[in-house]
Amino acid sequence: MSLSVTRLTWINVAKDLRLEWRSRDVLNSMLFFSLLVVVIFSFSFSPTAEESRRFVGGLVWTAFLFSTIMALNQSWARELRNGVLDAYRVSPAPPEALFFGKCIGNFLLVLLLECLMSPLFVLFYNLRSIGPYWQLAVIFLLGTWALVVNGTFFAAMSIRTRNRELMLPLLLLPISIPAVVAMVTATTDVLTGELSAVSQMKFLAGYCVIFTTACFLLFETVLNAE
Amino acid sequence: MSKIYGRTAAVRKVSLALQPGRFYVLRGENGAGKSTLLRMIAGLNEPTEGNILIYGLKTRDARQQMGYMAHAPLLYDELSGMENLRFFAQLYGINSDQPLVEAMRRVGLDPKLTRRVGQYSQGMRQRLSLARAIFHSPRLLLLDEPFSNVDPESALAIAKLLAAMRSSGNTILLVTHQIGLLAELADEFILLSHGQLVDRGAMKQGHA
Amino acid sequence: MKSPIFFVLLIITLGLLAWGTYQAIMVAPAEATMGDAQRIFYYHVPAATAASFLFWGNFLASIWYLWKRSPVADALAVAGAEVGVVFFGVVLISGPIWARYAWGTFWVWDARLTTSLVLWLLYVSYLVLRSSSEAGSTSVMAAALAVFAALDMPIVYMSNRWFRTSHPQPMIGTPNLNPEMQHVLLWNMLAFCMFALLIAWFRFELERASQKINALHIQKATQSTMAMTIAPVMLFFVDEKLLHEQMVQHRFMVAGYIAVWTIYIGYLLFLMNKLAKLRKEEAALNVENHVASRSSYV
Repeated sequence: MSLSVTRLTWINVAKDLRLEWRSRDVLNSMLFFSLLVVVIFSFSFSPTAEESRRFVGGLVWTAFLFSTIMALNQSWARELRNGVLDAYRVSPAPPEALFFGKCIGNFLLVLLLECLMSPLFVLFYNLRSIGPYWQLAVIFLLGTWALVVNGTFFAAMSIRTRNRELMLPLLLLPISIPAVVAMVTATTDVLTGELSAVSQMKFLAGYCVIFTTACFLLFETVLNAE
Repeated sequence: MSKIYGRTAAVRKVSLALQPGRFYVLRGENGAGKSTLLRMIAGLNEPTEGNILIYGLKTRDARQQMGYMAHAPLLYDELSGMENLRFFAQLYGINSDQPLVEAMRRVGLDPKLTRRVGQYSQGMRQRLSLARAIFHSPRLLLLDEPFSNVDPESALAIAKLLAAMRSSGNTILLVTHQIGLLAELADEFILLSHGQLVDRGAMKQGHA
Repeated sequence: MKSPIFFVLLIITLGLLAWGTYQAIMVAPAEATMGDAQRIFYYHVPAATAASFLFWGNFLASIWYLWKRSPVADALAVAGAEVGVVFFGVVLISGPIWARYAWGTFWVWDARLTTSLVLWLLYVSYLVLRSSSEAGSTSVMAAALAVFAALDMPIVYMSNRWFRTSHPQPMIGTPNLNPEMQHVLLWNMLAFCMFALLIAWFRFELERASQKINALHIQKATQSTMAMTIAPVMLFFVDEKLLHEQMVQHRFMVAGYIAVWTIYIGYLLFLMNKLAKLRKEEAALNVENHVASRSSYV
């Protein structure tokens, strides 16, 4: 009778991945959407390789934000459609496991989208990073987690509102502003190689810790809000 | 033994004490607050005042002892019957297939069926939902309109199972607004109207 | 019991507002470089202070609500957030008007302004959440969001201080005030904080009224509304003669006053509308309920 949070989290992730695999159309649409976003952005801003390094950070993260919100909007859709959340709430399983399972599932999905979009950006902007690549990887991971953890939480809140899909960005964007500032400046700093991005990475790590804890503590309250 | 005292917008000042091992039917016209009361016992709605004790425990701690079957099947359409049960069973700490196979047999479903639940008939879905409510051998069963929109064969299977559970000493609380099959199975009825407890007593034959 | 206190405070607040405005326009010495346009400062800063108090009130009320689920806490939270957004809106409008004159630009991304903007956005999203969520879940979710907003604020401030140093950082904030200016500022601070408190109290009563449609609350709220609407109108009499001045500085100052008081009056009209709706709802309920048992409403 093991009801440990970690084990249940992985069970939730496995279930989500299996469900995702069974109905692949959603995934395919999202991949295509991400592709379109990159194309449109690159189309609208087409500078030389030298200049592009300065603002590509902002562009990339805006594009990622679009895709993240798309992905998060449907993150609870399956649970809603089948009304399964009630069955989960009635069971003795801790809701935090459900939340983290969802977060990790969304995190993997968004990472997948980013891995698709990044090479395209590199292609369209002839990008080459002057700073170290490993820093970029860390920034992407931390930044994505920061967006996904809050996004999953607010998506759960949006379930109980009238304009579901609209509510999520309205809630997520103001709270994420500091993280986005950090992500963008960090990415720009690494690409241009002018400043060190280490302080931003520490900041992002702190942001992730604070908000992951807040989500962990408040999720059950929000899930059971009638 | 469960004891409730609760009040929400839909249910007003209901105070109930239920004996273990008996089969109760919760009746009333539409909108009387039956489903809301059941949901409060299941822990899905919070009463604005009062508290609920199940076998002396608060709802949160008693979840392992409860089985809930809602009006909607609450299952993943994209998974098969066994896959659904396996997932939910793990939420209750059950990691082997044995109790699941057992539960499916008792509701009259084939455990080896690989068809996705989305393709089941309504009756099969209700039966699977019931299987989920019993696979952890709960002492208290809460059911919300289990017979609605269900074919006669499934209805019979469900009724037989409920009778069996009643005999083995489980407490059953069932919400419905028709009686039909239950006239013979149930011990007591509880009547709600406009959110208030109006009447309760032993089930008599021919009670409409 | 509360009504008489409310009216006494209302009279006092009106007096203070009139006195403070008079002092700000006539008595305070003109600032060296900016002249009269600087007088915007005298309601800009108090509005910011008042809004900060209100947002703190919302945060504390939200925590209280999460802990005890008391409807009073919820009403306080709404009042704090809504009135805070109004006053902060005043800050965000009077600020750029002043800045346009003082620095030639409407906006800069320095730490303080950015933090203010984000704070305002956070609370607007709080209000949007409250208005579009399902009835039973509103209070809990909004309270959770308020906690997130409170967590975010220091982070926003720090992030902006550390990461946007490439932009010019003009010196804003309280310059070294000569004592006369400080004096005027303090009077205005007191006046506007009381003004904010009164509006928040009124909003709180409205919220409690809609929580339990109860004739008494509505009565109290009605009396307050009429009093509150008169107040801003009275203050316009102070400014009239200034509308004839030609100097640009005066124009900025007047523009500031007009913009700001439009916001305050607009919000009060909104509250009156809400009150009218509540009364209609109450009337409708009374018709329905003449059959229902009285015990349900204890």
